[in-house]
Amino acid sequence: MSISVLVADDSKLSRRSVIRSLPQDLDYDITEATNGKEAIEALKSGFFSLLLLDLTMPEVDGVGVLEYLHEQQEKPNVIVISADFQPEKQKIVMALGAKRFLRKPLDKEELAMALFELGML
Amino acid sequence: MSIELPLDEEQRDALQELLNISMGQAANSLAQLIETKIDISIPKISAVTPTELYSLLFETQNALYTRQSFLGDIHGEVMSVLSRRGLVEVATLMDYDEPLSKEDTQEIILELCNILAGACLAGLSEQLELTTNLNMPTLFQPDKTNFDELQWQHSLVMEVQFVITVSSFSMRVVFCLDDESLKRMKNTLDELLG
Repeated sequence: MSISVLVADDSKLSRRSVIRSLPQDLDYDITEATNGKEAIEALKSGFFSLLLLDLTMPEVDGVGVLEYLHEQQEKPNVIVISADFQPEKQKIVMALGAKRFLRKPLDKEELAMALFELGML
Repeated sequence: MSIELPLDEEQRDALQELLNISMGQAANSLAQLIETKIDISIPKISAVTPTELYSLLFETQNALYTRQSFLGDIHGEVMSVLSRRGLVEVATLMDYDEPLSKEDTQEIILELCNILAGACLAGLSEQLELTTNLNMPTLFQPDKTNFDELQWQHSLVMEVQFVITVSSFSMRVVFCLDDESLKRMKNTLDELLG
């Protein structure tokens, strides 16, 4: 069975890097969103078990996506992956229901550990 | 006279993201040291002539300037512009006592260059899997420097800004690269995007 993953990041480079960092031994059904608006549309139209979310994005940013999800019943596990990881940012994000906060550049091991802790591995 | 940017849209976007990540790392290490929030700008990437580089750097307000060259897989120079305003407040956050002596001020400038400019270059190189060695920064005065003699006649310029709002302090870091290094970097960016 494949895991449905939504990768939301405005940078193609970062989306590539995130997708490449997913543990190899599983199957994924990957959808990409290039901004927060696209991410919310994707979340409305399909079910995802995992959202890998950047914070700094045009249109709607990562916090906007978290705010949207906060009001929803069914939601994916959200792992925020951000270049801005000063403590204040982390607090906001965790309060809005993100399960993990990982730093860019993304470390494969850290992602695998987060997925393991969330029971997805 | 403006020069066309020698990067395509995807390469520019990728480089901007890499810079963003490096700035985040640099800002976080300083934020931890001084326990203060640091704002970072969106990195600007452009190609400039020596004259344009001069106007990009030089500020009418009283500022301090440093330059430091780097060697390795890519070569270039890092120039930093530090505002005099707020420098004393930042020094206090770094546990220096007022009044600052001339030596203190120099030490603080070197420290900020190492933490911000140095970490930024290190982060960028690491992500590009390139080796770079940064030399010590030296103070210089742009209006007493002949920019036409610079090695970077058609330099790719990457400009980032750090702001410590509580102290009204700001620092701009400009990276200049030569053509050979630019080629090398473009190849690596393409590999990362592939």
